[in-house]
Amino acid sequence: MTGAPVVELDRVGRNYRRGDEEVHALVDLSLTLDSGELVALVGPSGCGKSTALNLVAAVDRPDRGRVTVCGVDIATASENELVALRRRSIGMVFQAFHLVPHLTVEENVSLPLALDGRRDPDRVLDLIDRVGLGHRARHYPSELSGGEQQRTAVARALVHRPRVVVADEPTGNLDSRTGAAVIELLDELRRSEGAALLLATHDARVAGAADRVCELADGRLVGRRS
Amino acid sequence: MILKALLLRPLLRRPWRFLVTVVGVATGVAAVISTIAASRAAIASFAEGIEEVAGAARLEIASPGGLPETLLAELRPVSGDALVVPVVEETVLLLELGDGVRLLGVDLLLDAEVRPVLSGDRELPDLDATLLGFGALVSRRLAEDLDIAAGDALSVSIGGRPRSVEVAAVFEADGLSAVWERVLIMDVAAAQELLGRVGRLDRIELVPRGSVDLDELRVRTDALLPDGLAASPPGERRRFAEQMLASLRFNLVALSAISLLVAGVLIATTLATSVVQRLFVVSLLRSLGASRARVASVVLLEALGIGIVGGVLGVAGGFVGARLALASVRFTVASVVRGIPASEIRFDPQLAALGLAIAVVTALAAAVLPLMEIMSVPPLQGLRTAPPQRMRTRSRLATVAVLLAMAAAAAALARMPAIDDLPIPALTAALVAMAALLVGSGLLLDTLARLGHAPFARLRGAALQLAAAALSAGRRRAAWAAGSVAVAVALAVAIATMVSSFRATVEGWTTSGMRADLWVRPLAAGTGVWVGRLDPEIVTIAEELFGPETADPFYSQTVAYQGRPVSFAGAAFDVVRFHGSVPFPGRDSAEVFDRAWRERAAVVNEPFATRFGIGEGDTVRFELPGGVLEREVVGVFRDYSRSHGLVVVDRSDFLRFFPDAGPDDMALFLPPESDAGVARERLLEAVRGRFLVEALDNRELRAAVLGAFERTFSITTALYLVTAVVAVVAVLTVLLTLVGERRRELATVRAVGGSRGQVLAMVVSEAGLLGLAAAAAGTVVGIAVGVILVKVVNLQSFGWSLELVLPWSSLVTMAVWVVATCLVAGLPPALVAARMQPAAVLREEG
Repeated sequence: MTGAPVVELDRVGRNYRRGDEEVHALVDLSLTLDSGELVALVGPSGCGKSTALNLVAAVDRPDRGRVTVCGVDIATASENELVALRRRSIGMVFQAFHLVPHLTVEENVSLPLALDGRRDPDRVLDLIDRVGLGHRARHYPSELSGGEQQRTAVARALVHRPRVVVADEPTGNLDSRTGAAVIELLDELRRSEGAALLLATHDARVAGAADRVCELADGRLVGRRS
Repeated sequence: MILKALLLRPLLRRPWRFLVTVVGVATGVAAVISTIAASRAAIASFAEGIEEVAGAARLEIASPGGLPETLLAELRPVSGDALVVPVVEETVLLLELGDGVRLLGVDLLLDAEVRPVLSGDRELPDLDATLLGFGALVSRRLAEDLDIAAGDALSVSIGGRPRSVEVAAVFEADGLSAVWERVLIMDVAAAQELLGRVGRLDRIELVPRGSVDLDELRVRTDALLPDGLAASPPGERRRFAEQMLASLRFNLVALSAISLLVAGVLIATTLATSVVQRLFVVSLLRSLGASRARVASVVLLEALGIGIVGGVLGVAGGFVGARLALASVRFTVASVVRGIPASEIRFDPQLAALGLAIAVVTALAAAVLPLMEIMSVPPLQGLRTAPPQRMRTRSRLATVAVLLAMAAAAAALARMPAIDDLPIPALTAALVAMAALLVGSGLLLDTLARLGHAPFARLRGAALQLAAAALSAGRRRAAWAAGSVAVAVALAVAIATMVSSFRATVEGWTTSGMRADLWVRPLAAGTGVWVGRLDPEIVTIAEELFGPETADPFYSQTVAYQGRPVSFAGAAFDVVRFHGSVPFPGRDSAEVFDRAWRERAAVVNEPFATRFGIGEGDTVRFELPGGVLEREVVGVFRDYSRSHGLVVVDRSDFLRFFPDAGPDDMALFLPPESDAGVARERLLEAVRGRFLVEALDNRELRAAVLGAFERTFSITTALYLVTAVVAVVAVLTVLLTLVGERRRELATVRAVGGSRGQVLAMVVSEAGLLGLAAAAAGTVVGIAVGVILVKVVNLQSFGWSLELVLPWSSLVTMAVWVVATCLVAGLPPALVAARMQPAAVLREEG
């Protein structure tokens, strides 16, 4: 691992209100992610994994501490800077796939480029081929299996050559075999693209593939292992 | 719990959805109620008021031009079996009110047994004040409106001559028809003197005593009457009057029906959207064990509530709208019959009940289809994310086939003849064309999305592409909105096409037909509607000032031709034969009148020729009070007033059969090189202090005609507003729903790099595309409906040939207006979407 980390969380705190109750989703979380590294966040439900991923994905801001992604301070960056960061430097994979239902596979994959005013049909089709969906490019998400949908999401997350990929329980909605295949694909593509990957998972096998595993409980980092 | 989950909580948490739906229902109901209430008020006193004013009278004797008073003596033999009641009636201009009122001259002593207003336990006025001098009874409502009381003076204009009337008493009209609110009741002798009709009556009424057989009384009465006169029930006069307004009434009813259509579509849109968006909760409740019937009853209960609240608001808004629309409708009525006093817009419980019923029935009906749709979805499927609702090829072809069938049916209906002079098939064709918009709106959105969808990667503007795709995916919801906006656009475009054609035709008509230098008419009411006639003396004054060869007074009476009411008129053929007057297509007007004058012939207007199948060379035969008149028709002229038909003979013929009660108006053809302004001043100076008249020069006259025309069609402005309201409600309802349903998708777009601006642009683009689709389809269908209105409905209803002139600038304005309105309506949902916190939504939605 060389150079400055692409993701840096320094004593980060994030609270939510749930009705009258104040929930401390993250408490003093510190974490770094270097270029090309795969880090897994593990822990029980509600431990703050998704909150941490949302901060790294620049769709949320911390209440305390500092989150830096590709040199951008998430807490102080303008909305436009966050949008630019998401468009160019971050890819996201969700547990529930979150494909746009009325766009085809090809259109879903090209969405990050289209939102940035760019076009790269060769790259889009190449990625679709690489995730094994060349024959499904014109299909809609509702016509795909869960595994196919998640493979589409993986292609979408990588199409714009992000420096960081954030994956929130990417295998959570898949059977173990399909889940393993998706993780294998994600890791392979990440490596070939040179992106860092931060993923949240309950699955020990998935965590086992990571360079580092960070364990969270009640919003705090309670363990690390390499 | 089901009630809470499906109805109460959503209502409390998202009250705007309920409010928007209620506004949709209220707007639709208000459109219907205001049209009906305004039409009724404008027409009521003319036809419906006849029997109301007739009271207990079961028979009456009337004749165009009136009856000699001596007839009362002839009827003495039946006075044992019936009260014989003399009546004088005229519409006069009440200056303090600035509007026409009905002046009713009756025998106040006898009348307590005839009219409800003077009978029963009502307090009778001080008859001395009424019988001596020009004392009049006025209604409490009129007295309050004018802030007058017994002993105060009122000014009326009769034949342009201002006269003073004393308020003898104020009568209560509670519980009686609104007709009585605009009536001055006087003693018959005073009324005769005031109206300059001493010795003449307008009718004689018979009120049978006890159990006298009406048929026998009628036979005995007829035997006492001179030839050409007969006793008939007041209802016959009403039917006769109604015939004059039949076309107009039908068209007003048709307008109400179209309002109802727009209202129905709007209500259906809002309700359907409101119901379909519960799919998830309904599926969840059903999967947890709620019965179909229980869920359905809650959804229908909501529809009922929305129907009632929207109905009540719509009825209230409708009566307010009717007050605003009354002036416009009165002008339309005035194009057929002059100077009808309008009734006040009063709250009518029956009409209110109708409005409420429309709201409730339409709301329930609108809820049923979408309810069936969401109930047909298996619960577990309803809990899953809905796949895109793209149309299948078979559905597209089937829709195209239905649309083609509808187009063919509309074309066939438009070619069919009128039924009883009413353009029922043509209007049905117009309705079919508009219904096609509802059928085709889904296909239109689907096509639009396909056009923008296929080359997704090649086209610029991700937001626009996402919008097109999303609109197609939400087609079932969006189609309702597009359909209702398109129907409103079509209606506005059709009316605009008719008005533009009408305007161009009337402009041509005024240019070629209005040649007089000055035009004299009675002082118009504050509402702009003319009331009464000119005093005969004004003709004499004009002839003395400018020479008898300059004055063309126009006299008219309503008479029967083949049992139907037409206007029978007299004009100065000896004058207009030198100048020409109304336009005869393809012929010189002066030449036609010269021939009519030389051959003692008649000319007829186009509606008369159309209605009775009369052309040049035919003979018209009238049975008039003084005998039979037969005249050859030597010309058919263009005329855009008296749609029931007008026959014009020389004034000498007219005055042979009718007493000179004064002309309706008078044209003056001044000698060459005369200054019309100077001439007008001379005329007004000569009548100053004695008569209240208006004199317009040629330019002013044309402006006045076009002004009256503009006022008649000022309802088109209202249509623009209705279209805007429909667009706002429909777009707002549907887009808020679509945005609500697509929270996860919108959050995803944000998460993968979409900015707030792009999400905002995406939703606003959806609104714009929806508006564009609706404007395009609505304009095309609107033009087709406009052509039907111009070329078929007008001809069949009014006998008017109109030149078709498409209002291109108005059409463009309308399209821009609709798209702009939709874009504005799309802003609130777009802001909701843009403000969405992607992290929170993604966490919430899983």
